Amino acid sequence: MATHGEIAIAPHRFAYGFYRQVWWNWLIGTAFFCGGLGAGLFLVSLATGEPAGMIAGWLLVTVGKNTAHLFYLGRPERFWRAAMRPDRSWIARGIWATGFFAVAGFLSFAPHVFGPAWQLSGAAGAAVQWVAAISALFIMFYDGFVMNSSGAIPFWNSALLPLLVLMYASLGGTTLSLLLRAVTGGGQEYMAWLGLQEKWLLGGNAALLGAYLYRMSRWQPAARETVRLLVRGRFAWAFVGLVLAIGLGTTLLLTFAAERFRSEALLPVIAACELTGDFTLLIVWLKSGLFSPQTAPHPLSTSSKQEPA
Amino acid sequence: MARLGMVIDLKRCVGCNSCTLSCKQENGTPAGMHYARVVTREVGSYPQTRRTFLPLLCNHCEDAPCEKACPTGATYIREDGIVMVAKEKCIGCRACAVSCPYMNRHFIEKGFLEHGYAGGELSPFEAVKFGAFEEGTMSKCTLCAHRVDEGLEPACVTTCPTEARIFGDWDEPEGKLQKLVRERNSWTLLPECKTRPKVFYLDA
Repeated sequence: MATHGEIAIAPHRFAYGFYRQVWWNWLIGTAFFCGGLGAGLFLVSLATGEPAGMIAGWLLVTVGKNTAHLFYLGRPERFWRAAMRPDRSWIARGIWATGFFAVAGFLSFAPHVFGPAWQLSGAAGAAVQWVAAISALFIMFYDGFVMNSSGAIPFWNSALLPLLVLMYASLGGTTLSLLLRAVTGGGQEYMAWLGLQEKWLLGGNAALLGAYLYRMSRWQPAARETVRLLVRGRFAWAFVGLVLAIGLGTTLLLTFAAERFRSEALLPVIAACELTGDFTLLIVWLKSGLFSPQTAPHPLSTSSKQEPA
Repeated sequence: MARLGMVIDLKRCVGCNSCTLSCKQENGTPAGMHYARVVTREVGSYPQTRRTFLPLLCNHCEDAPCEKACPTGATYIREDGIVMVAKEKCIGCRACAVSCPYMNRHFIEKGFLEHGYAGGELSPFEAVKFGAFEEGTMSKCTLCAHRVDEGLEPACVTTCPTEARIFGDWDEPEGKLQKLVRERNSWTLLPECKTRPKVFYLDA
């Protein structure tokens, strides 16, 4: 059994110890992955005028993300109720953003698919593109707020988490955009710029992951235990192997190799490596979350003495 | 209006799990689902060891994170402070479960209500009691609101053979809850979560 000091992961709820997060599973991870990747791809494609990427990104969000969410819900037929409290819930805010994105994103690429008759003129066209861009940006980072608003799981309770998911969404979007351009042959003038952006994002994400783990290794015991699980424990093969070695290290090496040898044949391999790391990161972040043990305060501690309610 | 809550005297608790069983009997929760439970912990090192018991239930927090996290408003706080779930509004997103540091939210999986304790058909008792649940939604301790509304105490309180659980109203300045926490060293679980629980513990 994994231990952290004297505290073990509790095998059941009648035992003392850390409790594993068991509710948000791979379907939520898939929804977060599709949402971040799709919105990132859409935003990069919108900024560089690449319709194929806009369509693929829009499909990833509106079909991939939403389908995964609906499959996950206990009562999917009532999903609309989740939009009821945007004043308090990040989930509700995300639903509104996804709704805006579905409409504005569609109108943004519609002229490229259905012809000039769908082209909105002047200020209306610009406004639609701004709404699509802002809602895509929101979808890229709001999952981080959904997770970090849970004070119950110390490992998620970090202001760095929304930034981390935003950075990974940007990286995934850039990677997929490069691959799509290689496949479709469109938007070649941005290939060099996107390749440079890819390298900077890989470096930035590695630094951010390091800062996140460093911060959490000095946080509450449950967060420290999660870091241990990720680095040396049961999730090390996924985190160190897939997220760090494949998702960041191998991707960076292949990116340099693709540039050095001017080989677009490596782009599918780069995308596979990076997206593997991206998806695995979300899954291990969800699965490695731990709740703090519930216990009486230490006899010598007076910090938990409370006044009556 | 009242602010109902509980004080649990750990000096009296013997870890018999009567509260666990009476809660299950009262609420008819499906197998594996416990609104009330007792966490057992062994402390010390051989030969100086002992077992400690920590009875747990929903803390019916004043700043309930489950209520804040709920995107639909299905989780709400009654005027008397009891945190409830309106199952007809719940979509089963489990955001409340992830946000409750005390792990006192329970999800009713699909098929969960089709099998009784024995694994086969539902007993007549289960057939009646399971009607109060809905698959795909969250469920939680209601502090036996149905009993409280009739002027009774929660089942775990009336059953406790050592009277370790004391139920009352925090708004009564001279009530038994206020009196106990003034007289004894008291604390709440995970105060760092700033949820302001209405369940207090007295030192063993």
